[in-house]
Parts: sequence; structure tokens; C-alpha cells
Amino acid sequence: MPYTVQENRGQTDRIGKPHDRIDGRLKVTGDARYSLDFALPNALHSELVLATIGRGRVTGFDLAEAEAVPGVRRIYTHENAPQRQSPRFFGAGGTGARSWLPLQDDRVYYHGEIVALVVADTLVAAREAAAKVKVSYAAEAPAATLDAEGAEVEDPEGMTAIATGDAQAAMSRAATTHEAEYTTPAQHHNAMELYGAAAQWNGENLTVWTPSQFVYGFQKGLSHELGIERSRIRVISPFVGGAFGGKGMLMNFVSLVAGASRELGRPVQLMCSREACYTVGSFRAETAHAVRMGADEQGHLGPYEHTGRELTSRPDTYLVRGTENTVRMYDFSDYGSNVLAVHADRQTPGFMRAPPEVPYFFALESAIDELARKTGTDPVQFRVQNDTQKDPVTGTPFTSRSLVECYEAAGERFGWDRYSPEVGSMTDGDELIGWGVATATYPTQMSPATARVTLSGDGRARVMTAAHDVGTGVYTIFAQSVADKLGVPVSAVTVELGDTELPPGPISGGSITTASSISCIEQACDRIAERLAAETSEGSTPAERMKASGRPFIEEYAEWTPLQTGAEALRAHYDGDVRIVGGAQKDFCAFAFGAEFCEVRINKYTREIRVPRLIGAFAAGRIMNEKTARSQLLGGMIWGIGSALHEETELDPRYGAYMNDNLAEYLVPVNADVQELEAIIVPEVDKQVNPAGVKGIGELGCVGTSAAIANAVYHATGVRVRDLPIRMEKLLPA
Amino acid sequence: MSDDEPTGISRRGFLQTGALGGGAALVGSQAKAQEAEAGTRVPVTLNVNGKPYEMMLDPRVTLLDALRERLDLTGTKVGCNHGQCGACTVMIDGTRVNSCLTLAVAASGREVTTIEGLASPNGDLHPMQAAFIEHDAFQCGYCTPGQIVSAVACVKEGHASDEAEIREYMSGNICRCAAYKGIVAAVQEARDKIDGEA
Amino acid sequence: MRPFAYARPKNVRDATDIVTPMGVAGQGGAWLAGGTTLIDLMKLDVLRPEQLTDIQALGMDEIETDGETVRLGARVTMAQAAEHPAFKEGAPVLSQALWKAASPQLRNVATLGGNLLQRTRCPYFRDVSKACNKREPGSGCDAVGGYNRLLAVLGTSENCIANYPGDWANAAILFDAVVETRRGRRGRAIELGKLHRLPGDAPARETVLEDDELITAIELTVPSWARRSYYLKVRDRESYAFANTGAAVALDMDGDSVREARIGLSGVATTPWRAREAEAFLRGKALSEETAMQAGAIAFEGARGWGHNDFKIPLGQRTVARALLETARLS
Repeated sequence: MPYTVQENRGQTDRIGKPHDRIDGRLKVTGDARYSLDFALPNALHSELVLATIGRGRVTGFDLAEAEAVPGVRRIYTHENAPQRQSPRFFGAGGTGARSWLPLQDDRVYYHGEIVALVVADTLVAAREAAAKVKVSYAAEAPAATLDAEGAEVEDPEGMTAIATGDAQAAMSRAATTHEAEYTTPAQHHNAMELYGAAAQWNGENLTVWTPSQFVYGFQKGLSHELGIERSRIRVISPFVGGAFGGKGMLMNFVSLVAGASRELGRPVQLMCSREACYTVGSFRAETAHAVRMGADEQGHLGPYEHTGRELTSRPDTYLVRGTENTVRMYDFSDYGSNVLAVHADRQTPGFMRAPPEVPYFFALESAIDELARKTGTDPVQFRVQNDTQKDPVTGTPFTSRSLVECYEAAGERFGWDRYSPEVGSMTDGDELIGWGVATATYPTQMSPATARVTLSGDGRARVMTAAHDVGTGVYTIFAQSVADKLGVPVSAVTVELGDTELPPGPISGGSITTASSISCIEQACDRIAERLAAETSEGSTPAERMKASGRPFIEEYAEWTPLQTGAEALRAHYDGDVRIVGGAQKDFCAFAFGAEFCEVRINKYTREIRVPRLIGAFAAGRIMNEKTARSQLLGGMIWGIGSALHEETELDPRYGAYMNDNLAEYLVPVNADVQELEAIIVPEVDKQVNPAGVKGIGELGCVGTSAAIANAVYHATGVRVRDLPIRMEKLLPA
Repeated sequence: MSDDEPTGISRRGFLQTGALGGGAALVGSQAKAQEAEAGTRVPVTLNVNGKPYEMMLDPRVTLLDALRERLDLTGTKVGCNHGQCGACTVMIDGTRVNSCLTLAVAASGREVTTIEGLASPNGDLHPMQAAFIEHDAFQCGYCTPGQIVSAVACVKEGHASDEAEIREYMSGNICRCAAYKGIVAAVQEARDKIDGEA
Repeated sequence: MRPFAYARPKNVRDATDIVTPMGVAGQGGAWLAGGTTLIDLMKLDVLRPEQLTDIQALGMDEIETDGETVRLGARVTMAQAAEHPAFKEGAPVLSQALWKAASPQLRNVATLGGNLLQRTRCPYFRDVSKACNKREPGSGCDAVGGYNRLLAVLGTSENCIANYPGDWANAAILFDAVVETRRGRRGRAIELGKLHRLPGDAPARETVLEDDELITAIELTVPSWARRSYYLKVRDRESYAFANTGAAVALDMDGDSVREARIGLSGVATTPWRAREAEAFLRGKALSEETAMQAGAIAFEGARGWGHNDFKIPLGQRTVARALLETARLS
């Protein structure tokens, strides 16, 4: 049964307007079922056992005590695990979160890797038995950090190097130069919904419920790992309890759960513990940045060099390669960049909200601030005077770029004209006040999309596509789009998402869903409108013509591919592969922009850092729903507060183990951390970027915040923190 | 302290039978032979949203898991299982608690209110639920049931007098989508409606 | 979680009769009050009690005041006590140390008796695969040389640097708190300052309580001048976080000069902690930034950092100073 969402309130607002979420009622009543909320008859429960060494081999198991727990059905280890094939790693064109599966051999690549799965009649039995599984290891000393001895540096040349002109020579000529290193820590998504999976077989047909940002990709990956036809696998993920990139790749325990279910002849459910989510899922890896830049006497930017180092696992090369975007932000004369991979004894990282931009723009926007200060230029003015309307790399114009307008809008609201540039010059009693700004950006990307739209004689419409609503408001904007195009109320539109029974939708990643799916859905609606217009001239909207025509039902199926792609991309899309294009292309340069202004307050004695004011202005083309759009931007900005001040997954390098793998010690912002917070949406019309005129906003909000806060902290204290997170100990006077 | 209160029962043994709400059967440590075996299921009566449910449960089962696994009341969410996020918030006897740290057996005989119990039987939303929609006080919606139950209790406790107090007293519910601004606005609006009705 | 037997006795005498002591290995019997520490640690397999004796039917949930004496049943919740006028108005530090702790949900069930016995958040204590002398005597201490940013700098030993994570005990300790207990038929009274033991060479034994001893009440003596008191909790985020450092301060002022100062420290010590030398230093002195900083320095004499937590020493000193200055500003 498809999970359909339809609002039941009489709101009539349509596209562009603020509109309540049509899935709101389901979510506030607890009726929305997430992947692990479906009661499967006669289901078994399972629990993971995780490696307690950082590297090495499993040498044996003592399962006697665990197997003696009443209700235990089976304990899977590498000695008896269901047969599966190694995943195709998404970094190499596949859909798997990493290139290997748990329990395939005795090898331990990192601390917290899955070494056994206990399946039992009840949750309590599975958990008790998992605690009683005794594993012996041959442990080796892990090299688990960027700078650890034994970590291997890879320079995947060509893939990442971008260079023009002669940055080194230009540096020696520059009137003012700045050179520094910046680092960002390991961070975890910590979506409120845990990782997990439930599998149920009906003969040779498998149904899997698992939190997913990409049901078609998961289907394809499971087909490969389990060696069964894609058509026999259904993946369902109607609601996703937060994803932030962490649920876009197929996690490698899902096929294990499915395999266990097949062998045991009963549905099997796995809900990973919060602790386990830190290692069986993905994460944002540590990065380090060597940045050099220079400016002339007039404060115009000249050369820019940026070398990034990113941590990845031993087997896989995963890089976010943020210099591809940083070099395009200002009117640099010459630049050179490269990104190095550091292979360490850790799990393979993956994408996490604005994967390249969060670390790389912290480095860029901190460095820009430092250079602006050296040139004696106001940090807003410095950015404005170095703005560019064409991509400095290719010379291609941006489809639209409203960065200056964003600075003007947010600056005015913030009251930047009262900025006193001298460090420590703004205080209030025992509080040191600092103001800071930074640029936010995110490439506008798109993917092929398909959708089915129906309109029936009674005035009801339906849109079906296996896209995903991870909290972004997709259910609602799809309904608004159809309502607007067909002339029916939003409440008459039913939306179905997150199910491989539906036409393939885009991965919910890279902020592409709205641009891609709305372009597709509007195409289907337009065709319905054309067909009805050919049948009758009575009425002014498709819905009225439908009524006039006496037709009971009309349906259109649309396929949409971005201009820059073609048939191959569409075929790949049907095949469960990702084909994202956008950002900086050869003849096309599309980005959304924003400017963030913040005020920090720091107690002069104890140096707690709080952000009482954070104001951002963003220009991102056409806004589908001002209400849900603003929520995404605000949420992103708060993510930025967390990233700047709180979030770091702490590692014990002796074990390669995360030591704060819980929500009491891995701090994310709570309600009390947020005071005055505002997102201004700067109007922008961009008819070139895609038919829908839409740029993605899901990630944009969190990009500039870290640097804005770091810059404000410097302004307040004179301490330049180049290593996130910014914590009180870094600000204590020596 | 009720030292001398008669127990009304035979001071025989750790719990193995009998309705808990009426008092546990006890045995002195001198009577170990009659104590319940660890792991033995025990009778539990959960009064959830005004309805009694009787069941036999392993005493290890948390209220959270009993609601979800036994009663299929999956509005109450699992976010951390350690009292660190608030997604599992329910009210017991009108007080908000983390159901993940509450043993179902310890809640036996007490009144439990979950998100499923807030709307009227005719489907009308509780003012807090309506306000959450109105102010877009959620995105993914996963923490939302816990937020709403917590918010209802927050108003009832009298800890919703202004924005600062709401922020502090709603900080036990983490929202990773960070809909905090909407949550504060929703609590204020619902508070005024609830106070107006009272 | 390991299996256990559950009982909910109806009076204290029965309760203290039936409980089987939980020894240092985390096995045996345990009292279940709010359960916010116990159930948490059972889920992590750190504690493995075979019996839980649920004390919810035992009363012990009243707050009585008589002049300067405040007597709290051990089952009074943190939320209840935080709202009580005897604290809110009579000694704000005792209310603030409660509402600045944990979350409303946790405070609604966590009891004062349990709060006094809150277990450390040391990550190595909570991870059964790592060495911890507190959890498994003789296994070593992985926190020394490991990730120890949040751990103690006062009262530590080479065997254990786990901090006492609670707030309220560091405020209650300022007011001659006495803990009443019951064990079988016998009761006794223990000064709060003597309830906890320093880790020394036996960190698993955290208090002087016998394994089957039950806290029944806590009695405080709150002088009228305790209206001028304040709890400063310094943490990375604004709420729902443990203290990096904290100071509970009560001041009896004579104009600008200190008649009596009482100072408790949070987040920095292995047990509830009172800075008596710093208190003595301040007696009779005018309170200024200089004397406040001196008092802070005295409070942390003998402190030892373990790497990540070195900052707690200067930060703790400043925390004391700031708390003193802010308390003095109160009317």
C-alpha cells in the first residue's frame, strides 16, 4: 500500500506563497510512520556487535553465553554470514556507503565496525545477547587521524587540481598577503531518526523499510549485494526523520538484515543504537587547509592558493573537493588548488549537509576576513568590491548572482553601519561583543527526474514520484505545484513519495529535488493542460476544462533531464544511478548565494561563546514555498552555530574510537542556544538555471555561519581561532 | 515515610504475580527460594491515553518499547534511548518524562499520555498541535511528537511565560532540523489559547 | 541489558529487608528511584543488577521547612525542589543548581537522593570495552592519556580522574547538608561532605554507603543570608549540558566586606567539592576582582590537569571569581 499524503485543511494558497505542510497533520499527531515504525507480523529483532579495536583481525568468537539467552535465533559472524557481494562504492559510481560489507571476512578496518549481528525474538533478548558475545582479536595499532604516523597520503591528481595563472609569482608581487592553516573536525549527522532497516520476504520478493534519501539507488545496491533482480526488491521510505546526507548512500548492514531475514524465514528489524550510528553510518571527515592569498594596494584580490587534506578510510577515496567552489567566489587573478586524501583507519566518510562548502568556506571566509583586516578594509566592503559576475575559472557568466544584494539586505537589517572595526571595542558589562560576516554559497544542481501526474473528473489530482521528503517540504511544494498548474486546491492534491513502486525521482542530495522534480512535474501538468485545451475551450484552468470535457481521468508521465545531459543520464536515472549536474559547468555557472551577519557575546571571565543574533540574506531563484524555505534556511543557520561552536566527534587515537558517541557529549544546538535569528529571502529571477527557475536551499543556510562566527569571535577577543569548533578553552588568556 | 504502613500483602517475595498497581508481593531476602527468577515476565497494566492495556512483560522492557512494540503507538520516537534527546517524551500522571528511561513495569498502574492522545476523539487537533503546523515548528517531524508532548507539559507547568523561559524549558527536546524558532512561536500561541480556555 | 527481578515494596522496612547488596562489580541488587542514571548504565551494560527494588511507593517525597532547617525526602524530584520557595527565594543557588541541570523531563523523575549518587560521565567508565578502575577494579584507567576534556582536575589519582557530574550536591554541601539513610532496621546520618570518597586506589567505591543502604532524606540548614547566593554553570551550550566548570556561591556580606563565603565547585572534582581554603581566605576581606581571582586561585591549588582538561584550572579559577562578583552584586 503506498503511503499517500494529502492535507485536509482548506488552505487555498498556492505556489510561492507560504503554505502549511500538507503532511503536517500526520507529523503532529504521530500518525506519520517512519521506516522503523511499521509493525511487521512475526518480526524478529536484531542488534549489532561492534569491533572494540581500531584495526586488525577477529580471531574468534565465544558465543556460548550469548546463544544461551532465551529467544536468540541466530548469531551471525563472518563465519556464517549470508552470502552477499561487495557493494559498489558511491565514490566510484555506485550507491554503497563504502566498498565492503560487514561479516565478509575477519578484517577490522576501524573501531566500531560491525563484527556480529544477533537475531532474537525480542529486543531485550537481542540486546542482552549482543552484550554477551565475546570476540577475540589480533589488534594492530590504528592510524586514525589526519596526521597519524601510518596514515597514507594520496594525491589523486587531475581530479582535484584547479590552477590558472601563476599564483606563486602573484603572491610575491601582492601588496598584502595572508597565509594560514585552518582545520575542521569530524562531525556526525545525528539525525534524530536512527539508522536501521526492516526486511520482509514474500517468496522471492523482498521489501525493505529503511530511512533513505534515495530509494532507487538502495534498490539497485541491494540487487547487486544480494544477487537478485531489481524488480523483486521494493524499498520504502515515506518519511525520513532527518537525513542531512547521511541516508543518501546504502549502508552496508541493510543487505545483512535482508539476508538474515531470508535465511530465518521471518521479517527482521534492526534499529541501530545511537552509539552504533556513529560508526555504522557515515560522517563528515576532518579536513585541513593551507591557504595563501594576496591583494593589491586598492584591496583587490590577487592570487589564491588552497590545498586541502581530507581524511578517508583505508579502502575508499572519498573527497569533498571544496576548492572547486571556493575559487569561484571572488575575482581572483591567479589561483592554484589541490586536494589530498589521507587514508586512515576509520570508516569511509560521506556527504553531510553542504559537504564541500562547510569546511572549505570556513577556511576561505576566515582567510578573506583576515586579509580584509590586513588591508584595512571593512569586511563587507572587501567582499563587495571583489565580487564577480563571471566564473573566474571559465569566464562563463553566472546565471544569476545576487551576493551584493544579500550583503545589502542582511547588513541593513543587522545594523552593520554601527560596526566598530577595532578589536574589543564593543562591550556590554562583562560581555565582549563581536560582529562578523561571511559569504554563503551553494551550487545549483539538478538531476533527471520522472513523475506521474493524474487529474480526475472530480477535481482531484495526484503526483507520484520516488523523490523524498527529508523534512524539506517536498510533499507540500509538489502539491502546490500541481495545484497551481491544474487549477485545483492544494487540499485536492495527493502526493506519493519514497517508494520504488513509483517513477524514479532524484536522490535527495545536493539540494536538487525542487529544481529537478518541479521541472518534471510542471512538464507533466503542462501536457495535461495542452491535451485538455485541445479537447475543449470551455473553462480557463485544466480543472475547469476537465469538468467541461466530461473526462473521468487523465494522466501524464513526464521525464525530465537537465539541458546539459541527455539520454544516457536518463537511462542511468532509471537504473538507480546518480547523474547530478550543475554548479560550475563549461558553459553554465549556477550558484545560490547568501550573506550571514552575526553577533557573538563572550563573558570576559569564563569565555562561553553565545550567538544572540544571526541574520542571513539569501538569493536562490524562485522560492516555491516561503514558509518551508525559510525553515530550511533557519535550520541551516543553526547547523552553522553547531558546527562553529559545538560539534566535534572526539577521537581516542590509541583505539581509533569515538569517545563522545552520544547526544549528551556530542553537543548540537538546543532551543536555548537560539535567540534572534532571521533569514531574509532576496528576490531573484533566474530563467536560465532550469525551467522551474529554482536553486536549491537545503544546504545554503549552513555554509557561511562558521566563518561569520569565527570572524566575530576575533572581533570580540582578538583571538583568531582557525581550528573548529571554537570553544572556551581556545579563548582563555594564557 | 511509610515505615509502619501495613503492606496488606504477605511480604513474600519479589514480584512475580499480582497487579502491581495494588502493591507488590514481597519476600524478605531470607526467603530467596521464592523470589522471582530474573527474566520472568511480569504482569503490567499500562493506562495509555485513557485506555487500560494488560500485558505480560519482561521487566527490562522500557515504556518506550512497550508503547511502540506492544501497542503499536509509534508516534513516540526512539532518538537516543538514553534520555539525551527528548524524542520519546510522554506524560506520566501529567508530568513529562523520557519514556526510554522508564521501565514499563514501573509505569504500571499510572496514567500515560502519548502524542496519539492529544487530539480530540473527533479529530480536532490540540491547540499545540495546530500551532506547530501554523508556525512550521518542525521539518522532518521525527522529534515533533516529543516536542509537542513536552510543550503541552511545559505550558501546564507554568514554564512558558516568555520566550527565554520557553527556550530553556524546551531544551530537553533536541530538533536536529533546528525548528527552534517555530517551536517557541508555537508554544507561545498555544499557551495563550490554552490559558484562554482555562 | 541483563535480566533482573523487579519489586515495588510498599514500605521502607520491607524494602530494606529484601534488597540484596549491589557490590562494586555492579551486580547484586539496586534501588530504583528515578532511574535516569541506573537504567542508562544498565543499557550500556555498565551496571548489571540482578534485582531492582523500585522505591516509588515509599513516600519520602515531602519538603518540610522549620526555621532554617529544610528537610527533603530522598524521593523529592529535582523539579519539585527547584520550584520550592525555600530554595527559589531562600537560597537561589539551591534552585538554580537544579534547574540548570539535565532537562525538564529528567528533572521530573530524577530524585535528590539519586542525584547525590549520580555516576560519572567519564566515557571510559561508560564503554565496557575500555579500561576503567571504577567499573572494573584493577583494569586500569584509559582516561589518563585518553580523551579527558570533561574530567576532573581536583581529587584525582592516577587510578581515576572521573568527575562527579552533578550540580546540586555542590550547592547542598554549602548548607551543612546531612544525608539520612536506612539499612535494614538501622538508620544513620552522614554529613554530605563525608558521603563521597576520593578515588585514591579504590575508585569503584564512590561513597561510604553500604551496598544495601538507602538514602531516605536530606536535611539542610539554610541561613537567611543565603538569599544572596548563585549558581554559575559554565558549559559549551546554553542548556542541557554538563558543567565544564561551575561554582555554587553564597555570601554573607557586611557592606563590601565578606562576613562569610561559601563556595562549591562543579565539573572539576571527583566528588562534590567545597573550596574551604578559598572561603577562609575571603573572610573579612573586601570583595574585589582581585580578591575574587585570588580566591579562585586558592580554590584550585593542588589541581592537576590531564591534557585535554588542563583548561579547567584557569577556567575554574575564573568561574569562582565571576560567581563571587556576580553574587556580591545581588541585593
